Amino acid sequence: MSLARKRRTEREGSPALPQATIHRSVSDDGKIHHPRPRQAETDLRSEYLFSWVTALSLTVGAFIVRFWRISHPDQVVFDEVHFGSFASHYIRREYYFDVHPPLAKMLNGLAGWVVGFNGDFGFENIGDNYTVANVPYIGLRSFCAIMGSITIPIVYAIMRESGYPVAISAFTAALILFDNGHITQTRLILLDAALVLFMALSVLTYVKFHQQRYREFSNTWWFWLLATGASLACTLGCKMVGLFTFMSVGSAVVWDLWGIMDIRRGHDMKYVWKHFVYRAIGLIIWPFMLYLSFFWIHFKILKYSGPGDSFMSPAFQETLQGNELLLNSQEIRYFDTITIKHKDTKQFLHSHPDPYPLRYDDGRISSQGQQVTCYPHNDTNNFWQVLPTKELPESGRGRVVRHNDIVQFKHINTQTLLLTHDVASPMMATNQEFTTVNPDDETRTNDTMFQVDVVDSHDGEPWKSLSGHFKLRHVPTKVLLWTHAQALPEWAFGQQEVNGNKNQQDRTTSWFVEDIVADGTGNDFRNRTNHVEPKAIKHRSFIKKFVELQILMLQHNAGLTASHPYASEPVEWPFCLSGVSFWTDSETSQQIYMIGNLLGWWICAVGVSVFVGVVGADMLARRRGLEPIEDAGARADIPGIRNRLYRNTLFFLFTWSFHYFPFYLMSRQKFLHHYLPAHLASALVAGSVLNFVLVETVNYPISVPGLRTRLRPAIRAQVGMGGWVAVGVLTAIVVGCWLWLAPLTYGLTLTGEQVNARKLLSSWTLHFEAKAQD
Amino acid sequence: MQRHPLPSAASASLQAAVPLSLSHRRTTPRPIPSADAPAEDEEDIHDPRPWESLKHPRTYGSAPNSSHSTHPSLGLSSDRDTGHLPMFHTDENEARRRVGAQPQVYGEKEGLNGAGEKQGLMDEDVSGKWGKPHGAGPGVGGRRGLPPRQRLSGWQGIYAEYEEWIWAAVYTILSMITRFWRIGAANYVVWDEAHFGKFGSHYINRDFYFDVHPPLGKMLVGLAGLLSGYNGGFEFKSGVEYPADLPHTTMRVMLASFGVALVPIAWFTAGEMGWSRFTRHWVTICVLCDIGWLCISRFILLDSMLLFFTFTTTLGLVKFHNQRHEAFGDDWWMWLIFTGWSIGCVCSVKWVGMFAMAMVGVYTVEDLWEKFGDLKMPLRTYIKHWMARISALIILPFLVYAACFKIHFLILNRSGPGDAQMSSLFQAHLRGIDFAESPLEIAYGSKVTLKNYGYGGGLLHSHVQTMPVGSQQQQITCYHYKDDNNHWRITPTWGADPVDPDGPVKFLLDGDTIRLVHTSTGRNLHSHVIAAPVTKEHWEVSGYGNETIGDEGDHWVVEVVDDTHRSRSDAKDGRVHSLTTRMRFRHKLLNCYLRAANSVLPQWGFKQVEVTCDKENNPKDIHTYWNVESHWNERLPAGSAKLYKSPFWRDFLHLNVAMWTSNNALVPDPDKDDILASLPTDWPFLNLGLRMCGWGDNQIKFYLLGTPIIWWFSSIALVLGMGMTGWYILRMQRGYKDWKVGEWEDWTHVGKVAFAGWAFHYLPFLIMGRVTYLHHYLPTLWFAVLIAGHVLDHLFFGNPRDNRPQSRRLAWFVVWTLAVVVNFWWFKDLALGVHGNINDHKGWKWRSSWNIYN
Repeated sequence: MSLARKRRTEREGSPALPQATIHRSVSDDGKIHHPRPRQAETDLRSEYLFSWVTALSLTVGAFIVRFWRISHPDQVVFDEVHFGSFASHYIRREYYFDVHPPLAKMLNGLAGWVVGFNGDFGFENIGDNYTVANVPYIGLRSFCAIMGSITIPIVYAIMRESGYPVAISAFTAALILFDNGHITQTRLILLDAALVLFMALSVLTYVKFHQQRYREFSNTWWFWLLATGASLACTLGCKMVGLFTFMSVGSAVVWDLWGIMDIRRGHDMKYVWKHFVYRAIGLIIWPFMLYLSFFWIHFKILKYSGPGDSFMSPAFQETLQGNELLLNSQEIRYFDTITIKHKDTKQFLHSHPDPYPLRYDDGRISSQGQQVTCYPHNDTNNFWQVLPTKELPESGRGRVVRHNDIVQFKHINTQTLLLTHDVASPMMATNQEFTTVNPDDETRTNDTMFQVDVVDSHDGEPWKSLSGHFKLRHVPTKVLLWTHAQALPEWAFGQQEVNGNKNQQDRTTSWFVEDIVADGTGNDFRNRTNHVEPKAIKHRSFIKKFVELQILMLQHNAGLTASHPYASEPVEWPFCLSGVSFWTDSETSQQIYMIGNLLGWWICAVGVSVFVGVVGADMLARRRGLEPIEDAGARADIPGIRNRLYRNTLFFLFTWSFHYFPFYLMSRQKFLHHYLPAHLASALVAGSVLNFVLVETVNYPISVPGLRTRLRPAIRAQVGMGGWVAVGVLTAIVVGCWLWLAPLTYGLTLTGEQVNARKLLSSWTLHFEAKAQD
Repeated sequence: MQRHPLPSAASASLQAAVPLSLSHRRTTPRPIPSADAPAEDEEDIHDPRPWESLKHPRTYGSAPNSSHSTHPSLGLSSDRDTGHLPMFHTDENEARRRVGAQPQVYGEKEGLNGAGEKQGLMDEDVSGKWGKPHGAGPGVGGRRGLPPRQRLSGWQGIYAEYEEWIWAAVYTILSMITRFWRIGAANYVVWDEAHFGKFGSHYINRDFYFDVHPPLGKMLVGLAGLLSGYNGGFEFKSGVEYPADLPHTTMRVMLASFGVALVPIAWFTAGEMGWSRFTRHWVTICVLCDIGWLCISRFILLDSMLLFFTFTTTLGLVKFHNQRHEAFGDDWWMWLIFTGWSIGCVCSVKWVGMFAMAMVGVYTVEDLWEKFGDLKMPLRTYIKHWMARISALIILPFLVYAACFKIHFLILNRSGPGDAQMSSLFQAHLRGIDFAESPLEIAYGSKVTLKNYGYGGGLLHSHVQTMPVGSQQQQITCYHYKDDNNHWRITPTWGADPVDPDGPVKFLLDGDTIRLVHTSTGRNLHSHVIAAPVTKEHWEVSGYGNETIGDEGDHWVVEVVDDTHRSRSDAKDGRVHSLTTRMRFRHKLLNCYLRAANSVLPQWGFKQVEVTCDKENNPKDIHTYWNVESHWNERLPAGSAKLYKSPFWRDFLHLNVAMWTSNNALVPDPDKDDILASLPTDWPFLNLGLRMCGWGDNQIKFYLLGTPIIWWFSSIALVLGMGMTGWYILRMQRGYKDWKVGEWEDWTHVGKVAFAGWAFHYLPFLIMGRVTYLHHYLPTLWFAVLIAGHVLDHLFFGNPRDNRPQSRRLAWFVVWTLAVVVNFWWFKDLALGVHGNINDHKGWKWRSSWNIYN
C-alpha cells in the first residue's frame, strides 16, 4: 500500500509544486505537524484575526437587528398563541398535546421559568395584551432572538470551514442576518429560531466532521461525529422538518461510505464495517436516544392533567395527576342507568317521543319510529339503562358488564329499547336508521341486541365509565352506533343525526359512558361503593407513552389540511411571492408581515439556478470529453475548484432540496416560514456560487491531514479588489431591501401610501393599503 | 463447464488468431489510487479493454455498449494482482472470485471450448441468454444474430424453423379459448358496460356526448357495435337484460380480441428480453392465466384496449432497443414508429397511457445521454437521433391523439348530452341546435344563457338551493348541461325605467349597467363583501332578492372585450351580439369581475363549478370572459343562419381542458362509503376484489380479482429484484466480478424498462387525488410480471453461472408453471362466470378481505 502511495505522489507531484516547502516535523509527542507551505505565518495570523473580527461584528449586528424594539408589540403575535401557551403549560406542568416534538417548546418553557413567568396567561387570541397581564414576554422573546442571532456566526462558520474566503462567508451570513423573514420569525415566541439554529449547527458539525476524515476514529473525529448526531437530534426535537436535515446529512454519509467501500481505495471489509457501524452509532442510535430523552423529560415535566388529555388513550390519561378518569371511572353493572357521550362530537345519545317523519324531502321513507339523536346538553332523555341478555347472579362481580357482552339499552323516559334495522337513516342513504321499540314487541327483540366492544381491551375486561371507550356493534347487522356533526331538520329540533355505520374501521365510532346516574334499584350508584378511594396514578412504560404520542403527532400533522388565508404553496416560496400577516393594529396602522428580504431571496434563487446550470453544463461537457472546470491537481494554482463545487456546494444544494421539495408532497397547510431552513441552505449555495464566479479559488486543502495523507500545497483564496467591490454592492442591495421592508418586520407605523410603496409584489396581502384612486 | 454457441465462422477464426497472451499484454503496473485521492480520479484511469479489439457479433454497428459492467481496473491481468501489488488479504478462493477464474477475454474461452461443442437443438437454454446476442446480424425476430442452425429435416426441421410462430399460434388459440369461453352467457349489462356501451351508442347515433376519457376506445366500441349490427337504440342501464336486437356477444367478442392479442404480444415481448425459453414460456403463461386480465377483457369496456396498447408500447420499446446497433435501418425505423403509434393509441384510450409514454421517455432520455457521451459519433448522426425520436415519439403520438379527436368531432355532429361542455361556437354547428337562428343583437328584456369563455367553462346557473356557508343565499354556479335554470333576463338597473314591452327596442350597449335576473327563481345576480366558498380571496356571488327587493349589489357593468367574428370597426356600435361577442361583467360597487375558473364546489353545490367575483382586474383572464349562447327575444328578428366557424384546435384544447377538470372532480367523497373503490396500496398484494355485478343467485356473477400467485409473487419479485440489484452493485464496488461482459447491461436493461414501467404506472396513483379502483393496476401488473420473469430467469431458469443441469431447470419450470396454472384453474370461474348461489362454491376466500361470499 505504501508503495502505491509513493508512486502516486511521484506521478502527481507536478513540477510547479514547490516540493521544498513541504516538510514534516515530528514533535516530541510523536504527532506529525503539517505546516502549510507557501503561506507566511504572519499572513495566516492576520487572516484569522480578520476572520474573527468579522465573525464578531456579524454576531453583534445580528443581536442588534433582532433585539431592536423587541418589546413591540406588547401583544400576542400570530403563533405565539400556540407556542406561548405551550411554554406556560410547562411552567404549570399541565399536559398538552401538539403536533411538534417537544424540545423547542421546552426551551421556551425554560426561558419563561428563568425570567420568572408564572404561567398564568392563556395566550388565547392574537392581540391580547402582555403588559396588562404582566407577562415577562420580553424575556421569552429574547431567548428566541438569542438563538436566532447565534445562527449568524454559525452560517459564517459553515462557509469558513468549507474553505471560502472571509468576504464570501460574510456575505452569506449577511443574507441571513438582514433577512426580514428570519428576523420576524426568530424574535417572537416561536419554534423556528431553535429549528433553524439546530439545522445550521447540524450542517456545521457535519462539515467539521468531514474535515476529520483522514484522522478517522480519533478523538476529534468522534467529537464531531457525536456533535453532528446531537445537532440532528435537536433539529428533529424541534419540528419534524428535522427529518429532512437527517436526510441531507444521511445522503452525504452514504456518498462518503460508498467511496470508502470502493475497492480501489484498498480498504478491507472490516474497515468499511467499522466506518459504517460507527456512523450508525453516531448518527442514528445516539440521536435517537437523545430524541427519546426529550420526550422522557417532556413526560416528567408534564405530570398534571391538562388540555391535552382527551387526545390520549385512557391508559395514558391514567398516568396524569388529577385526570378525570382517575377520579370517577367506575365499573358499570347491569341495570345501571348511564349517559353515553360520543367521543369526537361530545354529544349525548338522546331520544324523545317524537317519531321520524313518514317521508323525507328526497322522497325516501322512514320507519316512523321514535327518533334517536345526539344532544349536547344534560337532559333526562339522555338516560339509558343497560339490560342483560343472560342470566345474572344476584350480586357480586357477575353483574359487571364486560368487554364483548351483548346487552340491550332501555330509554328510561319512554321505556323503549334502542334498535337499529335495515332502513336508511334520515341524512345518509348508506347508513342504518336508529330508533326505539316497545320491549313487548318480541318480533323485534333480535334487533335490539348490541355488543359492547371496549376499545383496546381483552376478553373479560370490565366496562368502565369515562375511561372505557367503546364501540357499540349491532349484533344482527354488524353496524356501529355512530353520529356525525350534521344537524337534522326542524322535525328533530335541529339535533345531530345518529345512524349505523357499516365501516368498521371508522375512527369516529368511539363512545364513552359519561356518568352512571343510578343503579338497578334506582338509587344513586355511589351507595354501591361507599368508600371511593382516591386512585393512585398508574404507571405506564415510557416507550409505550412515546409510541402513542408519536403516532398521534403524525396523524394530527397529516390532518392539518384546513385552508388558511395566509397558507401558500411551495412553488411561491423561493421567490417570496406571498407572506403571512402576523399582527395588525388598526389604531396606529401598524402591522407585522412576515416576508423575506425580497432581493436577498432572489439572490439565493439565482444562486441555486446558476449552480444547477454550471454543474449541468459541466456534466454535459464532460460527457463530450471537454473539461470546462478542471479537475483537482490539473493545475497547481486552482486545486479543488471542481472538487469543492461537486462536494461542498452539492451538499448544500442537497440540503436545500431535501428541505424544500418534500413539501410538494405534503397535503397539510403550508406557510412561508416552512421555507426558512431551506432558505438558509440556499444562501449557502448562493455564497459558494458567488465564490465560484468572483474568486475562482478556495482555501485548500481544508481537511485536517492524517498521518499518511499525501501533502498538497496549501492555497488561500484570493478575493481581490473586484471581489470585495462586488460583495460590497450585493450586501448594500440586501441591506437596502431589508431597511425598506423593516417597518413591516418591526411593526412600525406606516401611512397608506407608504404601505403601497412597500408592497413590492402585487401578490403580497398587506393591510392598511391606501385605496387606489378610481 | 459452460458452453457457448459458436458466434459465426468468421469471428471464430478471428478469435483463433488472437494470442492467448493478449490479456497479459500490459505490463506496466498501474498505481492504485490511494485513500486521499478519492473518487473524482476515476476518470484518469484508462484501461485498454482487450476484448474490444475483437469483432464479436454483439458489437456490430456502432460502438459497443459495454463500458459499465464492472470497473475496468478489475479486468487487470493476474501479474498485477498476484505480483507485487496485492489487494489486501484475500485468500485464494476470494481472489479468484474477484478476478474470475481466468482472464476475461471474450472469445478466448469459446476458442478453446466452444468450437468443439456440437450445437444441439435444445442446447440454447444451457448457454442461456448470454450466448444470444440481440440485434446484430441477420435473422428474424428475437433470434437475430444467431448462427445459422444446422438444417434438420422433417418435423424437427419445421419446428426448428418456425418454433417461435408455432408457439405464438398455440398461445393465441389458448387465449381465444379462455377469452371467448361463454362470453355471451351473461346477457345483461355488466358493471361499466353501462357507461361504455352507452358511449358506443352515441357514436352510432352521432350524438355529441362528454366523457373524461379520450375517444379512441369508445370509438372502437362504437365500431364494434356498428359492425355487429347494433342500431344504437339501447340505453345500457346497469343490470338490464340485453334486448334481442343487440348482438352483445358479437360486440364482446370483437372487444375481447384485444384481450386475446395480449398473450401473443407477451410471447413476442418476452422473446426480446434475452431470457431463456423457459422464462419466455412462463411469462406468457402468466399473461394467459391471470384472471384479472381475463375478466376485464371479456366485457364492453375500455380496459382490454388500454392493456393492448400498453403491451404494444412495451413490445415496440424492447424491439426498438434490440435494433440499436443498426440505427436508422428499416427495422429500427419500423419499431420506432410502431412505438410512437402505440403511445398515441394508448394515450387516446385513457390518460393513464401517459405513464407508458413516460416510461418510453425515460428510456429515450437515457439512450440519448449514452449517445451524447459517444465521442466517436458524428454530431450530425447524433442530431439525427434526436430528430428521429422527436418526430416518432412526440409528434407522431400527438398526431394520433389529435386525429382521434378529429374523427370524434366528425362523427358526432348532432346535438347530444355533452353539448354544454363545448364552446358556443362549436355547438352552433351541431345539428339540432338553433343558436344561429336566435336574434343577433341582445336587447333589454332578452332572455339569454351566458357561457363562460374559459376552456371547459360552463353556463351561468342558479338553483333554489342555498349556500351552507358565507351569506347562505342562493347558489350561483357554472353548469355544464342545459336546463331552464341557466336562463337569465337582461334587466335595467334599480331605479331605471323598466323594459317597456311596446316601446322601441333598447339594445344592450358596451358600458351599460344592468341587472341579471334568474328567470326561474326571480333572484338577481349579486355580489358582496363575503369571501367565496372555495376561492377565498374572491368575493362570493349569490342570488339575492327578487323583483322588488334588491340593492346596488345587483348592478353589473357590461364591458365588451371584442367580437370573434367581426372586426373592431364593425363592432363599433357597441352592441352585444349573440355567440360571438366576448364580454366581462364588472360589479358596479366592488369593481370586481364575474369569474368561473373550474374550481369545483363541494357536495352541497353538487360538484358544480364555483362562480366568484375577482377583485383583481386581469383583462387577459379568459375565465372572466362570457358570451351569450342562447338568446330569446320575440320582438327581434331571427338571426341570419350564417356559418359560425370554430377552429378544430380550439375545440380540441377546449375539450381536453374540460376532461381534465371533470377528471379532477372525481375525488373520493368522504361522505360516501364506496365499496367498489380501493386504495393503490391495496393492489400489489390483492387486498381487495371487486364485485362486477349484482350478487343474486339466479344471475351469472363476475368477481374482478387477479390470479393470486401471479400478483403476490410479482410484487415480491419487485422487492427481490431491487434487493438483488443493490447487492450486486455493492459487490461490484468491492471488486467482485460476478458478471461477464454484457451480462450486467442485460440485467439492468430489462430491469430498468420493467421497473420504470411499473413505477410510472403505479406511483402516480399514490399521489393522485381521484378515486381509484382495482382495475387501474392491470396495466401496471404487466411490468410486475416482467420483473417476476426476470428474477425467475436469473434465479432458476436461465442463469448460466451455476452448473445446474437442464433437467433441473426444467423441473423448476414445471413447478412454477404448475403453480400458476393450477391457481388459475382454481379461480377461473370468477372470471368466466359463477353460476348459482355463490356460497355453494367453496375455497375462494383466500383472504378475509375478499367479499366473494355473502
